[in-house]
Amino acid sequence: MGEPGRHASEVDLRLALVRHRYGGRLSPEQIDDLRRAVEAIVEQAAALGTVRLANSDEPLSRFEPFRSDE
Amino acid sequence: MNPVFRPLRELAEALRARQVSPVELAEAFLRRLETLGPRYNAIVTLTRQRALVEARRAEAEIAAGRWRGPLHGIPYGVKDLLATAGGVPTTWGAAPLRTQTFDFDATAVRRLEQAGAVLVAKLAMVELAGGMGYRQPSASFTGPGISPWGADAWSGGSSSGSGSAVAAGLVPFAIGSETWGSILSPAANCGVSGLRPTYGRVSRHGAMALCWTLDKLGPLALTADDCGLVLDAIAGPDPHDPTAARRPFRYAGGEAVGRRFRFGVIRDVAATAEAAVREAFDRSLETLRQIGTVEEVTIADLPYEAITRTILMAEAASAFEDMIESGAIAGLTAPEDRFTAYARDAILAKDYIKALRLRAFVVREADRVLSGLDALLAPGRPAVAPPLDREFRSAARGNLPDVMGAIGNAAGLPAIAVPNGISDAGLPISLQFMGRAWEENTILAAAQAWQGITDYHLHHPPEVS
Repeated sequence: MGEPGRHASEVDLRLALVRHRYGGRLSPEQIDDLRRAVEAIVEQAAALGTVRLANSDEPLSRFEPFRSDE
Repeated sequence: MNPVFRPLRELAEALRARQVSPVELAEAFLRRLETLGPRYNAIVTLTRQRALVEARRAEAEIAAGRWRGPLHGIPYGVKDLLATAGGVPTTWGAAPLRTQTFDFDATAVRRLEQAGAVLVAKLAMVELAGGMGYRQPSASFTGPGISPWGADAWSGGSSSGSGSAVAAGLVPFAIGSETWGSILSPAANCGVSGLRPTYGRVSRHGAMALCWTLDKLGPLALTADDCGLVLDAIAGPDPHDPTAARRPFRYAGGEAVGRRFRFGVIRDVAATAEAAVREAFDRSLETLRQIGTVEEVTIADLPYEAITRTILMAEAASAFEDMIESGAIAGLTAPEDRFTAYARDAILAKDYIKALRLRAFVVREADRVLSGLDALLAPGRPAVAPPLDREFRSAARGNLPDVMGAIGNAAGLPAIAVPNGISDAGLPISLQFMGRAWEENTILAAAQAWQGITDYHLHHPPEVS
């Protein structure tokens, strides 16, 4: 995990979306718990960002054009 | 004969020689499931009616000399995320889905029926295969899965009942599923063998989707050889599952005899494991030198766990979008499963795509390391089974290092966990062999060779032995 508070504003912004969508269902304790979960998601995204990608590095998922008669 | 704790080949031979009948065998295991199953919270539904129909059919066929193979007449259970027809519920371990039914059999179930196996139970599992972020064993409407090795020990998950039912001798084998750890963890905590096949080796048709690009189905059984026999029956292409590989698979049982293996160990792979697990692992490396070489290997420095976790969390959030957005998750058993998934809305599409781009790096790096090896070795799990009433650490949640699991699942690689001794607390310890893609026969041969020079797989929980 990174240093505490390093991504605080990012966490606040993403948590705001979660609260906007689901806040009516959540207790203050649950929102505290979700803050920690969102912090982990932001840290995780930061970890992904440590690797430099080239334009040619494609996602590993396969798309195949479809025809029902083949 | 007492059919409990017999390897599949012995049961098959007894059935073929008509020393025991499929109906007798089904009745014997149904009795054990009824009497012992509740002790471990291992069962969702007994499929007695279907079992007896299948057993009578097997009995007639064997009597007529039409032997289908080594699973003919052998009882088994499936994790309750595999669809079964006939009005039998398929609950996915989730209270809101207690009455869910399907009108078809999952491909794996259909293939086992074609092999003549007899379905006796739908087995307990962590709700929604753990995809909502559970933190403690009590995360299923059937109660916490309990390891037959200790009344207070978690069976592991999410294939909880598949592990405990095999370990307690309630079924000769079971089918589980793994997205990240869900076969290896119960195999380790319950002291049995568990095989996670290569992604795409076994059709997922009819299986609950947790993560489309990570989910795998595989067997849990007493021995590596048993796992191979079951994989032989369930593997293969399936027009109903476009991700099921077209590569044919035939189990090459017995390949281990006299073979030497080349094993690798990622530097410090056991460094954060519990002392008992680390010591057992170090001992096992010495033992393995009887059947091969063991060398330390290094892997590229990549955020393996963040990659796999991002893919898992994003795909699970999408797979269960209806339940999450509707608030139906509030009916789940574990308090944290009732709301934690809301946080997944904070994952950006860009981050998911980036994880998929980085996954290509993982796949290539894993293949580079494994191309010169038969298998990578590691503890099956870094800790013995935790107590039932405590939160556990989990790689999928990010508070337990599991580079092998992150790489193995992101790259879709096969791995088998096998028993590796008992801790001072009386709980099983496990060893895993992870192979190159599509090399199930290689890791099965290695695990079989391991079980040829050790007897850990012959030990069973004292209270059911």
